[in-house]
Amino acid sequence: MPIQINKSVVGKEMPPFVVTVERGKIKEFARAIGDLNPLYLDDRVGQASEFGDIIAPPTFLTTFRDESADTSALLRELGTDISRVLHGEQEFEIHRPLRPGETFLCRSRVLDVYEKTGKSGPMAFVVREMVVTDKTDEIVATARHITVVRL
Amino acid sequence: MKYARVYAGDVKVGDELPPLVKGPIQQIQLTRYAGASGDFNPIHQDDEFAKAAGMGGVFAHGMLSMGFVAQALTDWAGAGRVRKIGVRFAALVRLKDTVTCRGRVLATSSKDDLHLVELEIWAENGKGEKVVSGKATVALPSRE
Repeated sequence: MPIQINKSVVGKEMPPFVVTVERGKIKEFARAIGDLNPLYLDDRVGQASEFGDIIAPPTFLTTFRDESADTSALLRELGTDISRVLHGEQEFEIHRPLRPGETFLCRSRVLDVYEKTGKSGPMAFVVREMVVTDKTDEIVATARHITVVRL
Repeated sequence: MKYARVYAGDVKVGDELPPLVKGPIQQIQLTRYAGASGDFNPIHQDDEFAKAAGMGGVFAHGMLSMGFVAQALTDWAGAGRVRKIGVRFAALVRLKDTVTCRGRVLATSSKDDLHLVELEIWAENGKGEKVVSGKATVALPSRE
């Protein structure tokens, strides 16, 4: 018996949250990928670069999460749990590189929920978007995330 | 040289990125990536959990493979040049899999000082199956 997905979450806005980029976190993230680019890891190379400091790798935005939020709350609201979800698609638009010490405001919302039947059976797709702005209210990045729920 | 600089004028449609081979994937890398990314879904750590969830065992975070593809891009274009990267996770990456990241230039455009290159990007496992596929846009400097 397939589970039912609660589509009323479409349009839901999560509480905004603030993230400060930490120098050590950038390096830890780059090393976890095995990407040893000196612009991510070497402070002196960063300082001498056009960016004035080390920068974060493109997919570092995936670390931007609301530490105070209950991460399983949205899944519960959708009517599912973590054992049924897969990461379907991910997109980042990056207007400029992120540097250590910068503080950003992140606003996420659910854009869409739709169902499709694929090779492995019925699935629901949950589309979320996170807009990241800096202190001058300039958009620095947008992340779009599609979660697949196996129904 | 690994981080050779590419200039806008040197890039043509159809050019291919130097392939980047990552892996073989080991559990320790998935554990490390969980800590670094904050994604502690047990499906990437706990084989029993992954089997009970019907996934046949542990598999890698999709975001790790996306990180590999992004590395292939920045090894070529330079760190800080990626303006857009979007992928679909097409198949699971398992422990011991190698992940080969590739890309090909689809289009180039220049407007004033902004030189953009659009690429198709993908990654294959050891059997040559696509595990990740998508598109990216990088901004390149000009030689002048």
